[in-house]
Amino acid sequence: MGLERHCWVQTESPLKYEKKCCPLSPDFGGDFIRPLLNSSSPFIRFTSSKPISSLFTGDRFLSASIEYNDGSSSSISPLSFSFAFSTLRSSVESNDGIWNSRSDPDFDNSHPKPNSTRKGEVSDLKMQLRQLAGSRAPGTDDSKRELFKKVISYMTIGIDVSSVFSEMVMCSATSDIVLKKMCYLYVGNHAKYNPDLALLTINFLQKDCKDEDPMIRGLALRSLCSLRVANLVEYLVGPLGLGLKDGNSYVRTVATVGVLKLYHISSATCVDADFPTMLKHLMLSDPDTQVVANCLSALQEIWSLEASKSEEASREKEALLSKPVVYYFLNRIKEFSEWAQCLVLELVAKYVPSDSNEIFDVMNLLEDRLQHANGAVVLATIKLFLQLTLSMTDVHQQVYERIKAPLLTLVSSGSPEQSYAVLSHLHLLVTRAPMLFSSDYKHFYCQYNEPFYVKKLKLEMLTALASESNTYEIVTELCEYAANVDIPIARESIRAVGKIALQQYDVNAIVDRLLQFLEMEKDYVTAETLVLVKDLLRKYPQWSHDCIAVVGNISSKNVQEPKAKAALIWMLGEYAQDMQDAPYVLESLIDNWEDEYSAEVRLHLLTAVMKCFLRRPPETQKALGDALAAGIADFHQDVHDRALFYYRLLQYNVSVAERVVNPPKQAVSVFADPQNSEIKDRIFDEFNSLSVVYQKPSYMFTDKEHRGPFVFSEELGNLSIGVESASNVVSTQMLEANDNDLLLSTSEKEESRGASSNGSAYNAPSTDGSSNQLLATHSPQPSMAIDDLLGLGLPVAPNPAPSPPPLKLNARAVLDPSTFQQKWRQLPISVSQEYSMNPQGVAALTTPQSLLQHMQGNYIQCIASGGQAPNFKFFFFAQKAEESSTFLVECVINSASCMAQLKIKADDQSTSQAFAALFQSALSTFGMT
Amino acid sequence: MLEKQLTGHRVDRSICAWFWEQVISQGDSFKVQCEQHPSRCHSILCSMEDNRPEKHTNNEVYVDLVEEMDAIINSDGALVKCEIHGEVQVNSHLSGLPDLTLSFANPSILNDVRFHPCVRFRPWESHQILSFVPPDGQFKLMSYRVKKLKSTPIYVKPQVTSDSGICRISVMVGIRNDPGKTIDSITVQFQLPPCVLSADLTSNHGAVNILANKTCSWSIGRIPKDKAPSMSGTLTLETGLERLRVFPTFQVGFKVMGVALSGLQIDKLDLKNLPNRPYKGFRALTRAGEFDVRS
Repeated sequence: MGLERHCWVQTESPLKYEKKCCPLSPDFGGDFIRPLLNSSSPFIRFTSSKPISSLFTGDRFLSASIEYNDGSSSSISPLSFSFAFSTLRSSVESNDGIWNSRSDPDFDNSHPKPNSTRKGEVSDLKMQLRQLAGSRAPGTDDSKRELFKKVISYMTIGIDVSSVFSEMVMCSATSDIVLKKMCYLYVGNHAKYNPDLALLTINFLQKDCKDEDPMIRGLALRSLCSLRVANLVEYLVGPLGLGLKDGNSYVRTVATVGVLKLYHISSATCVDADFPTMLKHLMLSDPDTQVVANCLSALQEIWSLEASKSEEASREKEALLSKPVVYYFLNRIKEFSEWAQCLVLELVAKYVPSDSNEIFDVMNLLEDRLQHANGAVVLATIKLFLQLTLSMTDVHQQVYERIKAPLLTLVSSGSPEQSYAVLSHLHLLVTRAPMLFSSDYKHFYCQYNEPFYVKKLKLEMLTALASESNTYEIVTELCEYAANVDIPIARESIRAVGKIALQQYDVNAIVDRLLQFLEMEKDYVTAETLVLVKDLLRKYPQWSHDCIAVVGNISSKNVQEPKAKAALIWMLGEYAQDMQDAPYVLESLIDNWEDEYSAEVRLHLLTAVMKCFLRRPPETQKALGDALAAGIADFHQDVHDRALFYYRLLQYNVSVAERVVNPPKQAVSVFADPQNSEIKDRIFDEFNSLSVVYQKPSYMFTDKEHRGPFVFSEELGNLSIGVESASNVVSTQMLEANDNDLLLSTSEKEESRGASSNGSAYNAPSTDGSSNQLLATHSPQPSMAIDDLLGLGLPVAPNPAPSPPPLKLNARAVLDPSTFQQKWRQLPISVSQEYSMNPQGVAALTTPQSLLQHMQGNYIQCIASGGQAPNFKFFFFAQKAEESSTFLVECVINSASCMAQLKIKADDQSTSQAFAALFQSALSTFGMT
Repeated sequence: MLEKQLTGHRVDRSICAWFWEQVISQGDSFKVQCEQHPSRCHSILCSMEDNRPEKHTNNEVYVDLVEEMDAIINSDGALVKCEIHGEVQVNSHLSGLPDLTLSFANPSILNDVRFHPCVRFRPWESHQILSFVPPDGQFKLMSYRVKKLKSTPIYVKPQVTSDSGICRISVMVGIRNDPGKTIDSITVQFQLPPCVLSADLTSNHGAVNILANKTCSWSIGRIPKDKAPSMSGTLTLETGLERLRVFPTFQVGFKVMGVALSGLQIDKLDLKNLPNRPYKGFRALTRAGEFDVRS
């Protein structure tokens, strides 16, 4: 497959697209995009790239960020990958103690040491430098070089050498380029902290900016821009302007980044000098691609920062995404360096092509990027392909097929860090389209030498792609790991087996395997298995007979881990009827009450002994008495309360106690997924960024000042962004719902509370079991159109969409919060009305999220939401399908009165009524199945 | 400045705590590195421009196929997974602007390919021919992956049994599938489980060493004609431990010169645009990558 040229075309039938494998005629790709393949150009030669492994190294990253992106970047770029690698270490380190970077000797030596002898050396240096300053004797340069080297090396190890500043400047009058570079380096480092002294350097830097040698001009300009002293800005404008017009491309490259630096020091000066316009001109005309790339990245940054201040800038920002500009970049993409190619691919990913032909043209042009030696380029291309085809189910599916091979190659070649990052992306894709990889599961078998973090992710992959066809092989493989020397991996693999068991219908073989684990007599294996057997029993009560027989043989003395002990005790209580010696085992456990340090275990013990008592009173009575006495005397608040509660309950009425503690239970059908689909979609939107590696959307881990949406949400008062609340609010609200659900599942609730109070991982199942049922009765979630569009092979159930709307909305509407805000302020209200919602809709509105998902299914996106019953407030937006006309909606819903207040603003006032109708009909189907 | 960049990249400080520690502890050295780098690049750039077109006294080009075999073999000897990652490395010292065409006898076996930027895509797409103007010196022309291979050149059969406080190990190594060239530098390594107190292992060929980190390494070299190399011995377990529950995984190393085990064969290398006939050299090498044998 990897050998065939995939040619993305539209077939005769207007509704069906297919991918053909055929040799391409040279002019394929339409009029606009004519691939340039000029491999005899010198440019392509010197990119003779490094081995893949080196592409992701920190050093490479740093250089890239300095040269192309100095200052800051406007998006989470592929560059941030290398960041992932440096940070991965820290995260894994803290979890597992696998690395011990502290043992690195360099680490300790490199701390700056305040050293008194150094002081003397520095003043010595100062003396020597002063002597050489005026000297013109032959050989002066050599001795200067030695001295400069010393100064730089002192600076490197953290010694304060700022005192030689003036001497360094005096010595800088030289034609030796090595000396100049060292001097620039020194000046760049110290000017920021010595603004007064920095003035001294301006003179010689300005002179150097007019040097004959382009190298010196460039270096001087770079240093000049790197001084970052606000009051020297006036000296910057002139040289920068000359630099942008310089005949040498290196100088122009430096100057473009210099403009960005200037912008960050003083944005007003930069804009007043009209630099952005000059950059734009350069971007569209410069023959050197590095200059063009730097212009692009500088302009993206400047205009996105300016956009909130001026209309024009935001227009310019949008112009970057216009067809001519995007095509200009696409046509030149092969000339660009690898990192610049990533930049361009990022840009194109934001571009919304007008029709499918355009999409196919772009994809055909970029098809070969999937075979690029640089992993970042490959990933950026994949992102683009996925985004472009979101609305075309069939093609999207083919894209998955096409990207499989390159991704799998990236996983298995290169460093473990790279494998990890790519595996994270594969994991994301697998969760979206599990069937696709179900035949490639062997790629995710763990090799012995792989680091823990890679193995763990591979286990997650295996779990995610287990299907009926491959379960047997995968579970067999996982069982191999259970006997692994590496204990954490053994644990993880047992958990993985359990997870597969919980997601499969045919669990015969798996249960047998799990029970075999119990016979291995390894304490950690037993512990993990017990927890899983407990979960299995909650889902498949029909297996209780086989499991109980084996579990009954386990001596509770061999189980030490709290989670496992709690699981065992739960089974003892739940199946007291079937386990002969359950009361006696419980009794012996209660005898050791004092030694039981985990509150979770004690809570479970109380509940289990209650259950046991209600089934076999004569045998358990004594144990129950002991347990209640010990529980009431317990220092742990929850244990104390639960014991007291049971005591009073029994006192009040035994049959009520029976109904509370031992209600008839339904088997848990689905254990809740910790991440909801909206978060997953967000992560998917941020493909090829750290979000995927961290498995959370960027706003959850980025700095506050960089979070666009949050600034917005704060301004809007107590509103929160929909997704953010999704993670926290949902769970708490579920708990609350649970609380309201009085007696129905009290024992379950108590378990969950015990668990959460203990902060242990034994929390999700018990809560979700009941709350899921709860949700299921109230609000069958509407299937999301976005998911359907991905073509996961599911029957595409068109949403109960409004009868053919006269107005078509863009399925992939995007609008950043600042633009929303700006538009909201500028536009007048075109429609304002009240609308009474149907009762089902109100009932389904337990959390704002449910509505968000529903509206998203109707191509209406939410930008902010918040509130609690009965008052909810939402801000939605939508875009017209063909043109970039936007609708903004403020929607306040009172679930008590079933009223919704709508305020609609629109770019195009004439269509606002049509949109209002569409919005209402979308709202009216909310809550219906 | 670094801080500026980091915040610029919108990464939370707490997330990259490790990175920060590094930055703080290394102080300015970090800055020095990154300050120097771009200009270094630039000087390389200049030199490249200056040197073209190149003049070489010895006109020669070497093409190497370098392959690594990754495999997992189960305790019952079954091949669970076997895959080859290969590279085509070219070392070119040619004058002028030579235009090279490299073709394979059986390109269809390649599963996924990635190219050096100098490779033209169209000839590859239409005829699976690598057409390129090589940069000077050593570079990686292409990397590829061949999956689902059916056999390995050597077999490694470990047998581990354990009872009454000891563990008996015997490992046999031999040629399964003669590649036609000598298999060299064969090694077998495994990690002793932590509960092993001492190990007594001997072999009938090659040296057995137990390294400080409890790794046992058996270097065999070549397989002799007259006998099959084997290593056997006992491991003494910690007192109180009746038998070993976890069995080690054996990692195998080997090297085969002259053969690309994936079966990929170079058909021919054509050179155009050259003043005189250059020397063309071809080599192939396969070595073990991650080659795990479970016991």
